[in-house]
Amino acid sequence: MWDLDLEAGPIYAQIVRGVERMLASGQMKPGDKLPSARELAAALKVNPNTVMHAYSQLEMAQITETRRGLGTFVREDVNVEGIRLRILQEAALRFWAEVQSLGLSLEEAQKALEQVSLNGQREA
Amino acid sequence: MLARLSNVTKRYGRTEGVHDLSLELYPGQAVGLLGLNGSGKTTTLKLLAGMLFPTQGRVEVLGKSPRENRGQIAYLSDADNLYAWMTPGDAERFMRGLYPDFNPRRYRELLAFLEVPQQSYRAMSRGQRARLRLAMVLARDARLFLLDEPLSGIDVISRDRILKSLVLEWREEACLVLSTHEVSEAEGIFERVLLLREGRLAMDALAEDLRAKGQSVKDAFIEVLS
Repeated sequence: MWDLDLEAGPIYAQIVRGVERMLASGQMKPGDKLPSARELAAALKVNPNTVMHAYSQLEMAQITETRRGLGTFVREDVNVEGIRLRILQEAALRFWAEVQSLGLSLEEAQKALEQVSLNGQREA
Repeated sequence: MLARLSNVTKRYGRTEGVHDLSLELYPGQAVGLLGLNGSGKTTTLKLLAGMLFPTQGRVEVLGKSPRENRGQIAYLSDADNLYAWMTPGDAERFMRGLYPDFNPRRYRELLAFLEVPQQSYRAMSRGQRARLRLAMVLARDARLFLLDEPLSGIDVISRDRILKSLVLEWREEACLVLSTHEVSEAEGIFERVLLLREGRLAMDALAEDLRAKGQSVKDAFIEVLS
């Protein structure tokens, strides 16, 4: 849920992405309380300043709000659909970069995606 | 600023521990002091603790020499050096007698969190000993915490607990300097990393800046040393 990779860029950005992913997948919901910065820092064994940096980014992105003396909460009006679409777009960009590096066409990429999706439905 | 080394050289006879070292430490920072064995980590910490005098240059902690400010400095040596008969209770009395800033309530919380058994130091495992000595140091209300290799040579559970307690005890007004040659496990807790090579400062960087360039602290460590 909060998997960190020390070689995958700044930790604060990974924490922000972790919260966004949990919202997009429904593991976290509007109104939910986030762990205190200190608790999360101890659990992840990272610097509390780093978690506070992530929390301030989440607040600026209007994903969370700080309630005085109570802690950090996911905003009730958080745009989950927007976050979901953005994560999808990022995945699509990575996929498309791979398709291009292989010198394949959009049609071939679409075919591959359809095939993967059909296999997934058959297994489910 | 909390502490400063200005052009500090320390010689032991003909060998140099550190050479013309200058650096500043600030409150609220957790600093990783990294380097191979013999790179000057212990010398640097002992200079900051006032346990060694510089051959040249100046060391200041809160504007005074470390010896004049011992009450503000908590130092954990890398040596396994507690009286064999001491239990955690004995250690508490010992520390209270020595340091007016020793906080018994926090000490007991730390003992519980670090799962230190109530038995003599002699009867403890290596990891238990390391955890007890850490609790004694972290229970002080000092401003500068200097921990020399608190993670080396102990079991993985002890290392995990120690790192968590360092995060939980972190204070805005204090600076923590932790030396280690095992970089990857501890690197998440460092805001800043100092890398020593042959007694000189080979790198001084913010850990998140390194990661923004796609490097872990360990990658940077290997790059600078090779």
